[in-house]
Order: sequence, then C-alpha cells, then structure tokens
Amino acid sequence: MAIEYKKSLAVFTEFVGVEEAENLLQWLLKNPKGKINLATCEHIHAANLQVLMAIKPLVAAWPADEDLQRWLAVLEK
Amino acid sequence: MNALLEQFLSESRDFLQGIGEKLMQLESDPESIPLMTELFRFVHTLKGNSGLFDFPEMTRVLHASEDLMDAVRHGRVSYSQDLTDQLLDAMDFVGILMDEIETTGRIGNSHATNSVELTKSLRELLAAASTESEAHAATPHEISDIDHPSVDQVLEEFAAVEVDFANDTTASFGEPAFELNEAVAMALYRHAIGGSRVFWVEYIPEPECFFKGEDPFYLSRQVPAVLWHQSLLQKDIPSLAEMDVYSSQLVFQLLTIATQEELDDIFRYVPDQIQRIEIPALAFVVPFGSEHDDTIDDEFITRTVGFINDGNLERASHSIRTMLELSAPELWSSSLLRWAQLIIELEPDNALIQCALINQLRTHEPLDLVALTQDISSKSASVDSHLPNADLPHEHDEHEATNSEASHTDATLMASFYTVLTAQKNVLSVPASPWLAGRMKSVATTLIATYRATHQVDEIEHIEHALQQALADNTSQPLLAWIDKVLDSAPELSDIQEAAPIEMPIEQSTQEVSVATEEVILDPSSKFGRRVEDTSPHFGRRAEDTTTVVSKTLKVDQEKIDRLMNLIGEMVVAKNALPYLANRAETVFGVRDLSREIKAQYAVINRVAEEMQDTIMQVRMMPVSFIFQRFPRMVRDISRKLGKEVELVLEGESTEADKNIIEALSDPLIHIVRNSLDHGLESPEVRVAAGKNATGKLLIRATQESDRVLIEIIDDGRGINPNVIKQKAYEKGLIDESALERLSDEEAVNLVFAAGFSTADVISDLSGRGVGMDVVRSAVERINGTVGIESEVGKGTRLYLSLPLSMAVTNVMIIESNEQIFGVPMDMVVETVRVPRVQLSSIKQKQTTVLRGRIVPLLSLNELLALPQEQVPNEDDEFATLVVRVHGEHVGIVVDDFRETVDIILKPMSGILGGLGGFSGAALLGDGSVLMVLNPRELI
Repeated sequence: MAIEYKKSLAVFTEFVGVEEAENLLQWLLKNPKGKINLATCEHIHAANLQVLMAIKPLVAAWPADEDLQRWLAVLEK
Repeated sequence: MNALLEQFLSESRDFLQGIGEKLMQLESDPESIPLMTELFRFVHTLKGNSGLFDFPEMTRVLHASEDLMDAVRHGRVSYSQDLTDQLLDAMDFVGILMDEIETTGRIGNSHATNSVELTKSLRELLAAASTESEAHAATPHEISDIDHPSVDQVLEEFAAVEVDFANDTTASFGEPAFELNEAVAMALYRHAIGGSRVFWVEYIPEPECFFKGEDPFYLSRQVPAVLWHQSLLQKDIPSLAEMDVYSSQLVFQLLTIATQEELDDIFRYVPDQIQRIEIPALAFVVPFGSEHDDTIDDEFITRTVGFINDGNLERASHSIRTMLELSAPELWSSSLLRWAQLIIELEPDNALIQCALINQLRTHEPLDLVALTQDISSKSASVDSHLPNADLPHEHDEHEATNSEASHTDATLMASFYTVLTAQKNVLSVPASPWLAGRMKSVATTLIATYRATHQVDEIEHIEHALQQALADNTSQPLLAWIDKVLDSAPELSDIQEAAPIEMPIEQSTQEVSVATEEVILDPSSKFGRRVEDTSPHFGRRAEDTTTVVSKTLKVDQEKIDRLMNLIGEMVVAKNALPYLANRAETVFGVRDLSREIKAQYAVINRVAEEMQDTIMQVRMMPVSFIFQRFPRMVRDISRKLGKEVELVLEGESTEADKNIIEALSDPLIHIVRNSLDHGLESPEVRVAAGKNATGKLLIRATQESDRVLIEIIDDGRGINPNVIKQKAYEKGLIDESALERLSDEEAVNLVFAAGFSTADVISDLSGRGVGMDVVRSAVERINGTVGIESEVGKGTRLYLSLPLSMAVTNVMIIESNEQIFGVPMDMVVETVRVPRVQLSSIKQKQTTVLRGRIVPLLSLNELLALPQEQVPNEDDEFATLVVRVHGEHVGIVVDDFRETVDIILKPMSGILGGLGGFSGAALLGDGSVLMVLNPRELI
C-alpha cells in the first residue's frame, strides 16, 4: 500500500497511484487535523495532488525528493 | 521491427489505398451510404489498429477523420469537395508517418505540430458544418496560442498575446502570469538574453484525463530545465465532501528553457491541452523587495541617466555599484539597481530600458509587466529601425515642438518617445476587457516614466490627472484624449511615421486582431502543404509499390494454405466415406432407418465441407493482374525492338484464379504475346499499305466463364494463312498428304500447336525455333487447360486459353473395367452412352459407331491398358461407352460400367510411378481405396 494511514498521520511511500485518491480524500475529511508524511514519497499521482491541494493538510515531513518538494511547496499554508 | 508492427504497416497501406479509392468513388457518388459506411469502417479500423502502438500523432489524425466520417455517415455533415481534400491530406500524412515508421521505427517529433494542425482542420470541418457543433473545440484563438512556429520576434509574440486579451471568451488558458523571485527572474533573463528561448507552458489537463491513465503531474515533472513552476486548482472546490477526485481541476504552469521539440515530445499526447508561449527576456525584469521605505536622491538618478545617455556605461555601472553598497540589499531600489546593472552588463546597447529602469527610482511605481515589455519592445524595435531612417533631420523640430529642456536628448530618443506614445495609444485602443483598469494604470506609469526619461517632468501632473479621471469613469477616453493631444501637437510625427514604416505592423498587430489570427492559422497549413510537396517522391514510390502490396494480400505462408488444402482434401475423403457407411448399414446390418439418418447427416457435412473447400480455394485466388502487369513494359520493349507500334489493352485484370494456375500461366502467356508481336502484328508501313491504322492493337482479356477462366489474346495483325500452315506442316512431316487435303482451315490453324512447328523463316531471338506454341499447349494442358486459335487472314488472330479456376479438387467419374475402378476427369467427358452391340461397325479394323450423325471411333479401355480381357456388356448386350473429347475430337472409350462421380484431391504420381503414362494421378476414396485417375489424352 502506497499510503499507510495511522491514527492522525498518512504516510506516503514511494509511488502513490491514482487509486489512492478516493481513500485519501475520505481520510482527510474524517481526520481534519490529520497530517501527511511525505518523506519517502517519490511521486504522487495528479489525482492525489489535487486532493492535497484542495484540502491542504499539514505536512509533517516534506519529501526527500527535491523536485517533488518544490512542486508540493504549494501545500504550504 | 516486430511482427505485429510489420503487419500493421502492410495492412494499413492497404487500408489507405482503400480509403483513397473510396474517397474517389464518393466524389462521383456523394450520396452513397454503403460507400460511406465502408469508408468509415476503414478509417475506424485503421484508427483502432494504430492505437495498439505508440503513435499518438497518427491516432489523433485518424481519430479526427473517424469522427468526421461518422458525422458524414449520419448526415450531420454534408459531403463536400473540401472534406475529401482534407481527408486525403490526412491520409497522405498518415502515409508519411508510416514511411517514417518503416524506416526509422518511430515517428519524429517534427510531426506533432502537423498532426495537431490536421486534426484541428478536420475538427473545424466537423464543427463548421455541424449544427450542434462544439465550436470551441477549434476556435482560432486556441490555435494561435498553442503554436508559434516561427515567432521569434517579440512583436509577433505580443500580437498573439493581444489576441488573448481581445478574444478571451472561451479559452481557459490565461495570459502568462508568474511570481518569481529575483534570482530566478535574473536567471531566466540571462537565459533569454543568452539565446535560449524561455517558454511559458500552461498545461490544463482535460477533466477526464485520469480515466485515460494519464498522470498530468508526472508529465509536468518530466519537463526538463524548468526554472519556475506551480500547480493550481482551476477553481475552489465548493464542497470537499462532494469533490470528484477523478475529475481533474489542475493547472500546471511552468517556465522552462527546454527546446520546443522537447516540449512537443513530452506533451505529444495532449497537445491541445497545453499552451506554449515564448516569453521575451525583458518580461522578467521586475524589481523585488519592499518599496517605499527608501529614497534615492534625484541627483544620482539624473547623473546615472546622463552617463547612460552619454554611452558611458562604465561610469553608470560604477555609480550604481556605489549606490548598491550604500543601500540595504533587500530594498526594492536595490533590486532595481541590480537589474539595471545586469541589463547594462548583458544589453549594453539598450539605453532606453536602462534609463526607464533608473527613472523608476523616482516614481516608485511598479511597472506593469506586459505593458512595460511592450513599450520596451516597441522602443527597441523603433530604436533599431529609426536609427537609419528618422535621424538627425528631425532633431530641431522636435525640440521646438515639445519645448523640451532636455537639450542632450538625441533625435533617436525623441523618435522613440513618439513611438511609445503611439504604442500606448494602441494598448488603450484594444477593446474593453476586465484588465482595463490595470492597463490604464500601466499606460499612465509608462507615460510618466517616458516623460521623466525625456525630462519633461511638468507634464507628469497632467497624466496623473487624466488617469484619475479615466479610473473614475472606467474608460480609457481621458487618457486617449491626452495622448491624442500630445500627438497632435507634434506635427512632424507623421514624418516620423512615414520615415519609419516599421511602426505600421505594430499598429496592425493590435488593431487588426482578426488578420493576425488568420495568419497564424494559414501559416501552418501552407507549411504542411509545402511539406507534402517536399515528400512527393515518397508518394510516387508508394504508388509503384501498391501492385506488390496487392499481390502480398496473401499474407499467410503458402505452406499453411497448402496444408489447409490437404486437410480439407482429407475431410472431403472422410466425408465421402459416409455414403459407404450408409450403404453398409442398410445392406450388411439391415438397419434402413439408420442408413437414412446417416445420409441426412452426410448431406449436412457435405454442404459444410463444400463451402469450406470453396472458401479455402477463394483464399488461394489471385487476380490475373499479377501476370498482366508485366505486359505493358514487355510489349513496349519488344515493339520498340521490332520497330512496331503497338497499343496494348488489358481487360478483366481483376479476374481471379488459383495461385498455381496463375503462376503456371505466366510463361505460356509471355510466349503467346511475343508470338503475336513478332508474327501477328505487322510493321507500320505494311499496316498503312493494307489500309489499317499504323498502330497495331493487342488486346489481352481475362473473363470468367462458370468454373473456368478464359484468357484471350487478340491482335489485329496479318492473321494466319491456313494454307501456309498446311504446307509448312507437310514439309516438316507433321501431317501426311491426305491430311493436307482433309484439314479444315480451323484445324490447320491449330497446327501451330503441333510440336516442332514454326512458320518463321528466320530464327530470331524472339521466336522461330519451333519450340513456341507446342510448349504453350503442353503447359496449359498440364493445368487442365485448353488452348485454341482462330484467325482470319488480314484481320487478325484470336488465341484463347481456357483454364480451370482451381486445380485443387477434381471432379471425376468412376468407371469400372476388368473388375477394377478408374477415374476419368469430368471435364473431358462429353457424354456416357450405352451402345448396343448391333450398332458397332468396323472401319479399317477399328470399331466405330455413329452417334448423333457423326462417326465416333471406339476404343476398349482394357485394350488401352493392355489388359487381356474383353469389355463386358450389360444384360441388354449394350456396351458402356464414355465419350471423351481429346484435342477437339470425340472418342468413345468402351468400359464395363459407369459409377458415380466424386470430388477428389488429385495427387500426381511420384517416384517410380511418376514416369507412368496414361494416368494423371491417384486419389484416395472414402472407403480408403485408391482410385487411379486416367488421362485419356495420353492414353489414346
């Protein structure tokens, strides 16, 4: 599984595919204070990006991948 | 290249050929629904096939063509000449792509643009003609945005951007807007000045893109050399709970120095979803930082501007550096100074921008990016163009007219001053849009900066006043009026403009928006047209290839077909076993009902097997054009060699026959055609003397007559004189004296087929060796064909070959003799009769009988086969007689009894038996026994 949901933290690992988007949205809606950990994430599918951009959850850890980090800078509030 | 691709290519070429033909046919019959449907099917299949491979350029064009065809098919779009042109164009394009795939294995990036353009023009056709058109799919606006094939010039670039402003009704692409920091902006500026083209790319994925397996984010990340990027949501999501995660709302924007080719390649699947605009270098020149908490004294500004105008850049740079050292680096003014320094370094000749920038220190007004750049671009354009034209002669007038105290301002600057005014006026003339207020502000700012640069500070107040008024009324009128006033007060302006024709395009670019748009549309299509021309040799080559492509239609290995043939042969044999079984059920086991059922079942299997056989034979069918196609060249060569003029007419080239037949026919036909050319047709002089057209006519015609193919070779030459033939044949000892008298003209003419016969007195390299026609006859007979000749002296000769459509299955009649069974090919059997013993008569020790008024010689089969037994008559003392036709004569073969006829697969004899005369082969019967098939020709 590319996203591991913990109590209030969603951990993104490696490549997060399009099929995760629906779950991610549901989880973020259920956990408005949920944070996301992107440390080991390499790429997220655009559908996930869209969810994150719409909700802008707190980012607990930014991706190590610098390029991805730059792209996700839009999530900073 | 893998096998699948190979097959795709060869198949697709056939499709293209088919589409081309259908389009042509449609042209003469535009209402034909079946044609339309078939055409649609072709395009549809081709599109589907192309989708198997990674050829988006091809698929896109085909998809558009398919949509168009579908619309036409359903009558939503009416058929037109234009439509055919477009579709043919599209198919030519696909053909080019295929050529490229065949040679390089892939499609070059260069085709992406053409593909998009073709698709658009196809879609436009659809949109224009369809009542429920989705007009926005192909608005000129979009086209102008996506591609600027040759837009290097800043002016043209901005003409397009202006289009954006004016036509902003349906487009989702906005104008380029980016918030950079100074470092990135400077880097971009450096790149742009350094010769790299900086592209603004906006990528708005279509909402359904996720369902197509696309990942727009991934795609955006693939763009190389990105210096700035951001992702946005098109609009705020109204309710998060109802958000459709699988409908893309994303917008990606980036600034990159990747090449146009790289961008085209990355976005080749979604070219209609991106906007790519080249950004001029100066657009990045924006000072950053906090603005109003610093002051730079006028003294510095005036001094630096003075240095710049004097061309003393070193001192200007030095003074800026000193000022920078004194100021805090995060200040807006510092940023501006850094920019000024950078521009002095990279664009030392661009004094105007340097001045404008420095003067900004006085106004503290941020300059509108687009307007500023446009001023500067028009300034720089005019500076370039004015230098040689509007030079010093105007200096004096201008000073007077403007009453300027800026005595050191040179004429170039003044000319530019008016250019700026005119440009600003044009900016304001653009029809109203949401940006009006911002635009007016930017115009005012520019004007103020311009006046400062020309030291006419007292005018600034008026401008500000006009701006206030304009903003209050939300109309550009006050500003326009002000500019007009200034322009009017400068009577020599028209001189400047006349002297500087370069200004006209600037005006046109903003005012004649539609013209600019049209040009953008027209340009690509004309480019495509040119490209097609360029590659016309390719088309030529393909056209030549088509004949081989057609013959290649038999894609399956022939061995496989042969195997299929054998299998169906066995099937036929196995099927034939059923009647035997039925017979046994009745006679041996006495179950009549079962017998009847078996027979009923047999009928079904028989039907299926026959159909199958038929189909397989169809597979083996080839058009005679396969051999006909070589004749035009051959006839031309030979007639040239012989000094004859010959017009060759080919008819019925699409007539089909079994592959083996066609192949076996090739050599005999060449013989015949050579003969006709050599012996038949006369030289032009002889023809004219005989009152004929100097050009001889040679007609080769193929027709199908029931289950046979008839090939005729007809010439209008001198014909064959039967007497000469008889004489020659007699001389060569082919016939005896009695025959000389007896032979009819027709029989005599057919003597040319006798072995060793030749009429030519001189042996040439073409004919005359006496191995001509008899070889033809034996070759034709080998494939169960017949050959004949008719001729009329002075009128011409008609030679005909009659061939079976297929030689795979032979229909034979089974006969009984000496308690053995034999087969006789049905096509040789004329009739079967039972001749009473009393009707037999002997002529010259040979048995004969009279059938229908003609004497028929009778031969005993046992005798022919050297069997010692007498033929057995039936109870009524009648002899079973099989009348066969051999070389045009009827001969009766007396046998013991007749049986049924069967279809058999005739296997030629091989090995030791191969040399056995009198038999054409053997076949397996349904009960497993072997049937020897006689060859009466050899037997008699």
